Amino acid sequence: MLRQPRMWHLGIFLSALLALALVAGCAGTAGQPSAPTKSTSEQQSAKPAQEKPEPTKPAQATPSAKPTPAQAAQPAQEQPKAQPTAKPEVQADVAFYNGKTVSFIVATKPGGGYDAYARLVAPYLQKYLPGSTVLVKNVEGAGHIIGANTIYAAPADGLTLGTFNKGLIVSQLAGMEGIKFDLAKFVWIANAATEPRAMVVTAKGPYKTVEDLIAAPEVKMGGAGVGSESSNDALMAAAILGFKVKMINGYAGQEADLAMMRGEIDGQIGTYSSMKPLIEQGEARAILIIGKEDVAGVPNLRQKAPAEKKALVDLMESQAQLARVIAATPGIPEGRAKALRDAVKKAFADPELLAKAQQAGLPINYMSGEETGDLVRAALDQKPEVIQLIKDIVTKK
Amino acid sequence: MVEASLQGLAAVFVWPNFGLMILGALIGMTVGFIPGIGGNFFLAMMIPFVFGMNPYAAFALLLGGHAVVHTGGAISALLFNTPGTGPNAATCFDGYPLVKKGQTGRAMGVAMTASAVGGVFGAAVMIGVIPIVRPIVMAFGPPEFFMMIMVGIACIAFLGGSTPVKGLAVGALGLLLSMVGQDPSTGVVRYGFGLLDLWGGVNQVLVVIGLFAISEMINLALKGGSIADQMAAKVSGGLTTGMLDVFRHWWLNLRCAVIGVVIGLIPGLGGEAAGFLAYGHAVQSSKTPEKFGTGMIEGLLAPESAHNSKEGGALVTTVAFGVPGSSGMAILLGAFLILGITPGPKMMTEHLPLVFNMAWTIAIANIFGAAVGLALANQMAKLTYLRGSILVPLVLLFAILGGYGVRNSMFDLVIVLFFGVVGYYMKKYDYPPAPLIMGLVLGKMAETNLNMAMDLYGVEFIFRPITFVLLLVILFIVGLPLVKATRAAFGKRGVTSAGTTA
Repeated sequence: MLRQPRMWHLGIFLSALLALALVAGCAGTAGQPSAPTKSTSEQQSAKPAQEKPEPTKPAQATPSAKPTPAQAAQPAQEQPKAQPTAKPEVQADVAFYNGKTVSFIVATKPGGGYDAYARLVAPYLQKYLPGSTVLVKNVEGAGHIIGANTIYAAPADGLTLGTFNKGLIVSQLAGMEGIKFDLAKFVWIANAATEPRAMVVTAKGPYKTVEDLIAAPEVKMGGAGVGSESSNDALMAAAILGFKVKMINGYAGQEADLAMMRGEIDGQIGTYSSMKPLIEQGEARAILIIGKEDVAGVPNLRQKAPAEKKALVDLMESQAQLARVIAATPGIPEGRAKALRDAVKKAFADPELLAKAQQAGLPINYMSGEETGDLVRAALDQKPEVIQLIKDIVTKK
Repeated sequence: MVEASLQGLAAVFVWPNFGLMILGALIGMTVGFIPGIGGNFFLAMMIPFVFGMNPYAAFALLLGGHAVVHTGGAISALLFNTPGTGPNAATCFDGYPLVKKGQTGRAMGVAMTASAVGGVFGAAVMIGVIPIVRPIVMAFGPPEFFMMIMVGIACIAFLGGSTPVKGLAVGALGLLLSMVGQDPSTGVVRYGFGLLDLWGGVNQVLVVIGLFAISEMINLALKGGSIADQMAAKVSGGLTTGMLDVFRHWWLNLRCAVIGVVIGLIPGLGGEAAGFLAYGHAVQSSKTPEKFGTGMIEGLLAPESAHNSKEGGALVTTVAFGVPGSSGMAILLGAFLILGITPGPKMMTEHLPLVFNMAWTIAIANIFGAAVGLALANQMAKLTYLRGSILVPLVLLFAILGGYGVRNSMFDLVIVLFFGVVGYYMKKYDYPPAPLIMGLVLGKMAETNLNMAMDLYGVEFIFRPITFVLLLVILFIVGLPLVKATRAAFGKRGVTSAGTTA
């Protein structure tokens, strides 16, 4: 027999919805470790406040409390003292972040390398900006362009920062449409890792050296899509070294690995660490390394490239250096920029984070925001003929 | 081998692994239920908790949840025509009409049981397939993927129901929509209208939420009444009928589970397609294809079975090759690294009990998830009798949240609402929505793989053995009805056809 729904049915339904909404809300603070970690981080953030002699720190000793009149008075007293003793440099405005929500934008879907680094650093960023809540937000689309646009166009209040592919440097140089940012103008916070890139070829294939590639009538390289890092790298390497490349694009994630095992493609370019399993399994051999570090037994692009292509080689090397960049919106107040930079620097020095990163296989080689910004601006500063060359290279099929 | 299997099974029931699996399954089902948040989000969210756990406990949590995400998604698909996860769109095709007829209990019974059976099958196959997975994965490349997808597209022709022309028209519209965005092979943006947000194409989750959920809510708001507008038999009776239905159609269930496993097994096909291809197969192999879309049991159990079994398949490739078979597996790989395990051939020798444990966890979590779903079915079914004036705002809220959650983008909501209106008019003029989704999902994959096949092998790719066989299957599928119709036409005129029988 059909029964009319009663009010208590509705009550159950609404409670279930409320529970779901709570779950969704918790999901929104994605990737935050559970409470125990938070309370230890609160204890720990009290310690640096005592240890560091910097004038701004004592005011932040109680992360969760509303500032009592006594504490509010302290900063007012401390700051006038601070200025004469410190050099005329900017003070990190950590107090601003108390009680605020910081958005950490990731320009990819959940689950990739950029996402992994973001979720690794977010809780520690929160720890070193006491009172703040750091939320990881995935804004994917148009090959990281939408995410980068989002960070660039956010309000310049210091509450938005994020990570994206430094391949956007090449995209910006090539004048890709849809780019609404200028990488030179971002406030660079840090670079988390340097990752040399490796060109690998199938172990069972006929190519053993770069010279073999140059002599071949056509080399099939696998890439993710036009404009992707894998594709641009392969095209630039081919242009530098002078081998004839045929790009086969459309391999998402690690499908190119399988394609190599099938003998469908001859090779691909990716980070050396991601290629290592393939090499160790005996399916691939590394034929070239791109980056400042050298790998035993494998020639470096620097050695093999002709002298006239030096500008392109430098560009590719700087790309390998800037593996995991973090940037904030241009125009944010300097105090807040410094606060973000300091917090990220401390996060990447935190032994807990470093241990987790090592467990997860995420290399960390911290580079300061200032150095990152210099590298980015240097990479963007190319002569017109080089820019034209880049345009030609990446728009070739 | 058997010993390792038993070891793996025993580890499932050890505390805290069992508790973690239950916890993971409950969270996974809830996350699956909420539209816009899918399985990948669940995994990405759970990974930080995995640090420092032992592998058995960690996989109990992760796989316990991951295995049942689509089971949870099926519930919101059935009740509100809002798929909880992308692949659950196929659940809406025939599941929701069943609910509208008042047969919610039966629908839930079918969906939950088919999910459980599919999931268990996928896990069971996982063990058997591992030795032969390498030759299978090596044999399938872009040409084979293209042909497989074309088989699915050919099945779209059958989705038109009583008006095949309308079905084809809508399917063609879906294919057209799939062309929006950046062509991966040439980088040219098509139908972008200068909007950056359209570069990635029209996201199928958005179209589904609009076409199914929003349009249904518009309909409900205009019509009044509640979702289930027909009197129904006792709800709990419906449940058992549903469960038995799955076993009555066991052969179809098995075939769809196999389709799911194969698609999960082979990276490059994308798990999204599993439900749709299984649905297409159910339609094409049925004696009454025109009834699909009105609440056919086969139409509901096919996708449910396939998208739970595909995870078993995807896990095989991930474990055996270290190459993820689906996007969820890609995230799971991160967990492997955190736990210090390198997936790949070495896993089979060093960690065999763990591999079995993973299969057992998937199987048992699936059964648990289905049991939870069935237990809640009665109460959830009552929701469908709620007045529209209460339900419409709530479902709209979920739908909007779901649409926004895909990419944290307001633009996406415009797409959702646009397709809501389109869906309303489609329903009004009796155009079936399923072909549009199938065209949209399959079109993109077909084009990418066709381009890659041509780039790799030129036109000769058609003559690769598996590809050619699949081409013949397509010709058969498309040709058979034509032959039947021609013979029927001859028969009517009284002319007997020479050579006979099927």
